[in-house]
Amino acid sequence: MNDETKKQIQERYERHLDKGERFWPDTIFKDLIMSLGIFVLLLLLATFIGVPAEPKADPSDTSYIPRPEWYFLFLFKFLALYGQLPLIGKIEWLATVLVPVIALGVLTLIPFIEKSPQRHYSKRGLSISIMTIMVIGIVLLTLMSEVPTVSEDGSTLLGTLQTIAGIFIPVIAYFLLFVFKSNNRLMVWTTSLVAVSMILISGTVLALAPEKKAEETEVATTLVDQIVAGQDLYSVHCVECHGDDGSVAIIAGVEGLEGEKITPINSRDVLYTITDSAMYEVIAYGRPNAGMIPFGKTYGGELSRSEIDYITIFMRYSWDDRFEAPEVPELFPPLAEGEVPSYDVHIQPIVKRYCISCHRAGKDNNNYLMTSYEEMLATGDNAANNIIAGDENSYVLQTIQEHPILDENGEEIISMMPPTNALKPNVVDVFIRWIMNGMPQTAEEAATLSVTPEATPAP
Amino acid sequence: MWKNIYLWLDERIGFNDLYANLLDRPEPKTTWWNTLGSASLFLFVMQGLTGIFLTVYYTPSPDHAYDSINYIMEGVAFGWLIRGIHHWGATLMVILVFIHMLRVFYTASFKYPRELTWLIGIGLFLATLGMGFTGYLLPWNQKSYWATVVGTQIAGTVPFIGEFTLKVLRGGPELSALTLQRFFSAHIWIIPAVLAALIGVHLFLIIKHGESHFPTKED
Repeated sequence: MNDETKKQIQERYERHLDKGERFWPDTIFKDLIMSLGIFVLLLLLATFIGVPAEPKADPSDTSYIPRPEWYFLFLFKFLALYGQLPLIGKIEWLATVLVPVIALGVLTLIPFIEKSPQRHYSKRGLSISIMTIMVIGIVLLTLMSEVPTVSEDGSTLLGTLQTIAGIFIPVIAYFLLFVFKSNNRLMVWTTSLVAVSMILISGTVLALAPEKKAEETEVATTLVDQIVAGQDLYSVHCVECHGDDGSVAIIAGVEGLEGEKITPINSRDVLYTITDSAMYEVIAYGRPNAGMIPFGKTYGGELSRSEIDYITIFMRYSWDDRFEAPEVPELFPPLAEGEVPSYDVHIQPIVKRYCISCHRAGKDNNNYLMTSYEEMLATGDNAANNIIAGDENSYVLQTIQEHPILDENGEEIISMMPPTNALKPNVVDVFIRWIMNGMPQTAEEAATLSVTPEATPAP
Repeated sequence: MWKNIYLWLDERIGFNDLYANLLDRPEPKTTWWNTLGSASLFLFVMQGLTGIFLTVYYTPSPDHAYDSINYIMEGVAFGWLIRGIHHWGATLMVILVFIHMLRVFYTASFKYPRELTWLIGIGLFLATLGMGFTGYLLPWNQKSYWATVVGTQIAGTVPFIGEFTLKVLRGGPELSALTLQRFFSAHIWIIPAVLAALIGVHLFLIIKHGESHFPTKED
């Protein structure tokens, strides 16, 4: 660029300054309004959407599908599509290093690549077209990032469409643009057609994409929630051996561990000398020599890092006298006179705490599973007799009232339930009212069966 | 008395010069598209302020990071708001800086005499992404942990120096306490220092050359 052009540029700029505005107050005013708007937007986002709670990092959880931050998703998707290409798809670093480095390098050096002093859009057709296609590609790849390249039925249709929209069309377009670079009209047409076809194909991909399964991750954030979550987990995984108050010193009623001597885990010996992190290791690795199986996912168990933490928190706040427990809400809302309980509000939390420990897959339970409403009513060797609407001889009602089920010869076929500790009378009452009134599932169904108008079942 | 204080300060600082050089400048006609840069600066300041509040409670260790964030969200008065602003501010900042860059590109504002401003701007864009990348790991939850695993893995695919880069980023072959510690250090000291310095130069250049005008047919 020679001095003459530079002078021209300066003179033109001076002319625009003469027709322009003052930095203060005109320009600053707009800036401040914009910043204020953004501040308000931030407050709204922080208040009404907030930051979703996530479970604690668990390096041993290999089932977790890793995803980068959202603004790298397009690159992630690009890599996945690139990996599908024949031949060059195998050379990973071409896509992870070479392509991004070239793109970033061109972007950085653009003032030295596009050297002409001309600034108007009509004189910059090539670079504007390339940039536009690139930006559209980035946005579309980001939108498609959740769509798998291979569907569950093994079809690669979605992957092919994505590769066409995300890689093939743009590459062909860049090539065409270089061919047409002296003709603005052709470049505008190319860019528009390419943009429309990319958007249409991506739209098809998004429309065909399998619906995303809502991932259910229960994250307890408040102390009370953590204690409740811990107690539920404790009830499922620990109660069998340690008892519901952790006081068991000699295991009874557990196959293979009958009579095994253990330290009561609610004792000061345990709680005062084992720190939280040691407790984590004990639960995660177990005590194989003493009969305790590993519970952490790291060692083949079922519990995640967060879940073991909740159990520890529950133990501390329940039995460790150095911790002052907050007020924990009752397991289920107390019943009013004549009120009918529902599965959702009353039975489910009770079952989760007292029954699922044994009544889930893989345990010795006459095949009676209780993890959902349907299972409770329809599974088990005695499915026909377990729960019968309006019948107080239902096996469930008999056993929880400490009446074992006997066969014709007077032999016990089902012992009292739960096997060691009887349920509290108010819990038994919930079961009786629920079964005698036909086992309503939702709170609304239960409300229509209730005879007291003032009974207001919790939602 | 206020007047005397003002005069004393004015003698030493020179408010009139400041006013004339910084504020009372001519600009070409600007539109809302010209506010994106200052909006990014505003977000940088907001991120700095909320970030400083967060460091009061945050502990950069795998044992405590998650719980300290949980405490900020549940135990600290308005902690949820501070973290919410920091969280969403990061997202908005990446978007704004990117759109700002696109605006400069489409209006060809990077051309003479503003080439250096563009180069610094690219540095600012990369530093912003770096802030996002390092900050994402700090809550030490599943999402952030695994995002960092894949992010650093990509660095590991570089030919020849890949393995070395991976080890430098992670502080060893695996993601560990060291990774968290160095991401924290990068997030609150190294990258912000670079950002602040680059912002200073960027602003100086903008004041020196003025904002560019929207290109017309004659440009």
